[in-house]
This record gives sequence, structure tokens and C-alpha cells, in this order.
Amino acid sequence: MNERVGGGQRVRLVVSWLVVAVLLGYGVVQTLITAAKLFTQ
Amino acid sequence: MLSALDRRHTVAPPGYSRWLIPPAALAIHLCIGQVYATSVYKNSLIAHFDTGQTAIGVIFSIAIVMLGLSAAVAGTWVEANGPRKAMFVSACFWAAGFLVGALGIASKQLWLLYLGYGVLGGIGLGIGYISPVSTLIKWFPDRPGLATGLAIMGFGGGAMVASPLSRQLLSFYDSGYDPSNSGSTASGSALVWLFVTLGIGYFVVMMFGVVNVRVPAADWRPAGFDPARVAAKPLVTTANVSAANAVRTRSFWLLWVVLFCNVTAGIGILEQASPMIQDFFREGGTSAVSVAAAGGFVGLLSLFNMAGRFVWSSTSDVIGRKPIYVVYLGVGMVLYLLLALVGQTATALFVLLACVILSFYGGGFATVPAYLRDLFGTFEVGAIHGRLLTAWSAAGVAGPLIVNAFLDAQGEPGTLTAAAYRPALFTMVGVLAVGLVANLLIRPVPQRFHEPAAGRDEVADGQPVAAERSGS
Repeated sequence: MNERVGGGQRVRLVVSWLVVAVLLGYGVVQTLITAAKLFTQ
Repeated sequence: MLSALDRRHTVAPPGYSRWLIPPAALAIHLCIGQVYATSVYKNSLIAHFDTGQTAIGVIFSIAIVMLGLSAAVAGTWVEANGPRKAMFVSACFWAAGFLVGALGIASKQLWLLYLGYGVLGGIGLGIGYISPVSTLIKWFPDRPGLATGLAIMGFGGGAMVASPLSRQLLSFYDSGYDPSNSGSTASGSALVWLFVTLGIGYFVVMMFGVVNVRVPAADWRPAGFDPARVAAKPLVTTANVSAANAVRTRSFWLLWVVLFCNVTAGIGILEQASPMIQDFFREGGTSAVSVAAAGGFVGLLSLFNMAGRFVWSSTSDVIGRKPIYVVYLGVGMVLYLLLALVGQTATALFVLLACVILSFYGGGFATVPAYLRDLFGTFEVGAIHGRLLTAWSAAGVAGPLIVNAFLDAQGEPGTLTAAAYRPALFTMVGVLAVGLVANLLIRPVPQRFHEPAAGRDEVADGQPVAAERSGS
């Protein structure tokens, strides 16, 4: 990341990636819980 | 108000971080990836409309066909109008698809569900899928595979979000619905509220993408990036080819065959994953793999499908596009052979082989925009990508047809064993071999298809400006 990142833009970066991380994280965790049944049953 | 969505109003100011673009693209792809989670409420829809599997299954088919058609038809419009307007239109169609679908469920008019989720939603899918691709490639000329891999990973991740979310929402709206019981179905009103919630929720998340997406200024380049070094790699061009000319080239159709073969082979396993693992380990009429464990296997495949999109596409930035497709197709052939011949010997081996195969399937989707950039330049890469996605629609029909035709000939579902899958798996080896040969035949696009200097220029702020290139 070589671009100059100002304060407002930094907030926007954090919020954007946070939204994506929360959504993806929820999906991955839920899928892992389901996938665990492959090894536990 | 709509003019604020135009390409000329979305040119990034100096200092705008390009790392805002991948989450903008992911906001779109995470939402439209829901299309692969429709099986969650399929049985509830069947019960609500009192109809058969086919009548409900066709909703998904309409959506996928509309995805391919709208991506092909609207590709040039997306290029001309820019990613922000395309994302906004996609969000409107996608949300409207859910809301019209909800109306269809509430009024028990199945045709409204076809029109809503299938047609309107399908158009939103196609426009949304291609909307961020060329923008990402322009922002990341140094690592196009990583950038498009990130976005298209979102499409795989979208189903992983939507499946558990839909189950939880249905349980919330209908306390009598038990998602852990495969025989349980949700009420019509729960389905209506699920569709309304998803429609509104997805529209809001997609607006994150609309607000954040920008196109780079025509003369923008990442710090330290030298286009001449990128162009020095085999098959990578500094020239530009229009979408109209691209479909006249041999390389475009060879790549169409490559994508078609890779998707056909992968989708064959994906469609059949749950019964397949149970059949492979069936002895004396009983499978050693439970239904719940088979569900876990499907979840694991989703993870590898998603991860493969990012990992393999990023790897292609290092080793090149043609070599990575040699891996997808060549190594894929070996893995399919192993699956057919020794897959039944151990569950762990079967799972490992299938997971790597599915990671190649996802990688094939995610790497293709960068391959197109290499061959045809950035000028109309989004529109060319849209036309190439017809291979996906065709493979979506061919893959399951091949597998189901072979399995139908082998016996009844629930009685099949590993041997019943061998003809289908050997056929997939042949399909991958065709794709491998097509990939090896891909050559640089002849100069007669290249745009003249004025034609390859891009438009920013309504004025023609020099495109991002360094001579030749």
C-alpha cells in the first residue's frame, strides 16, 4: 500500500474491510461448524 | 441524481487508496453469491406451492441462464457506464428480484417467483458479477490475479453466508421450523419475510460497494509499477482489443472451451457432493458416512472452492495464466483419475482429492479475468468477460447432465457404489483433457485485432485520454 491515506479515508478503509470481514467471517465459522460434522460423526 | 453514478463522476481523486476497491467488489459478490444457497429453502418452497422439485429447481436455472445472458449482453454497457452505475443497477435488480419473489410467494403465484428471483434477480447477478472486474484490473495492473481473485472469492463466500443466515432467519420467522431436520419446512409467511429481509439487507450491503468504488484516473499507476515489465511476460499484451473483435479471435474461443471444461468437471462433483461421498463408502447397502457428515463434506468443499479462488488466482500473478490452467486441468485430470480408482479406499483421501479439485474449480473462475486482460488488454475486458461467462451457463447445464446421465444408467439413488461413478469420472478426465489442449493452443492475439491508438483510449470526464500503457 504505497498510496497516501488520509484520516477520513483510513476510517472508510477500516469500515469497508470490517463489513466484509464480518460477513465472510460469519460464513466461514458457520461452514466450519458444519464441516466439523464430517470428522465427528 | 443518477448522473452521480456516471463513470466521469467516479474518477478517483489523487491519493485515493486502491485498497477501497476490493471491499467494494466483495460487497457486491458476497451478496449475489447467495444464488448458490437456494437449496436451503427449496423444500419449503415445494411445500408452500404444493409442486415438484423441477418446478422449484427451475428458478435457479432461470437465474443462472439470465446471469450468462445479461453478462454477455450488458458487458459493453457496463464498460461504458462504469462500475458505480453498474453496481447500483445490479443492486436494484437483485433486491427487486427478492421483493417480487416475496410477492409471488405471498400470492402463491409461482410465475412471479420465476419473474422476480429468476429473471430480475438473474439480471442483477450478471451485471453485478462483471461490474467490478475491469475496474479491479485497472487498479491492480501489477497484481490482477490477486485483485479479481479477492472479488470472485466473494461469490463463493456469498453462499457460505447466505446458507446459515437463511436457516436462522427462517427459524426466527417460523418457530415451528427446525433447520436440523431435513424434513422440516418453513411456512409461507416465513419465506416471504426471508425474501424481504434478504432483498433489503443485500441492497444496503451493495450500497457500500456503490459508494466506495472509483475508477482510476487514466494516467494513474501504482507506485513503482512499470507496464513494460508486465508486458515482457509471455502472452501478456500492451495492446487493446474491443469486445466485438475479441469474439472473432481464436484465443477467445479456446479460452471459452477452457472455462467450459474446467467448470463442467467441477460442477459435476459439486452438484453430486453429498450423495457421492455416501455412495463411495457404501457396503452392503449401508453407507459408512452419515447424512450430517455428508453435509460437513459439502461445507468443506465450499471452503476450498472459495479459498482456491484467492490462492490460485494470486499464484497466477507469479507463474503466469497459461501455466496455472495447465495445473487446473492437467493435475485435475490426475486427481479425477485417483478419485475414480482409489477414492473409495479411505475417507480422508477422498475428501482431500475432492477438496483440491474444487479449489481448482474456483481458481478457474477467478483467474479468467486476468487471463483475458493478458490476451486482450484492459480496454473492454469487462465486456469480454461477460461474453465468456456464457461458457459458465453452458457448463452449468452440461456438468450435471453428464454425471446424472451416467448415474441413472448405473442404478437407483441410495444403492450406488464407487464403481457407479467411474464412467462419469473418466468422462470428466476426457473433458479436462480437451480443456488442457485448448489452453495449450492459446496464442497472443494477432495485431490485426488490436485497437488503433485512438480507439484504445479510455474516456474520463467525457474527454478521450491516453490509455494506461507505455508504448509499443
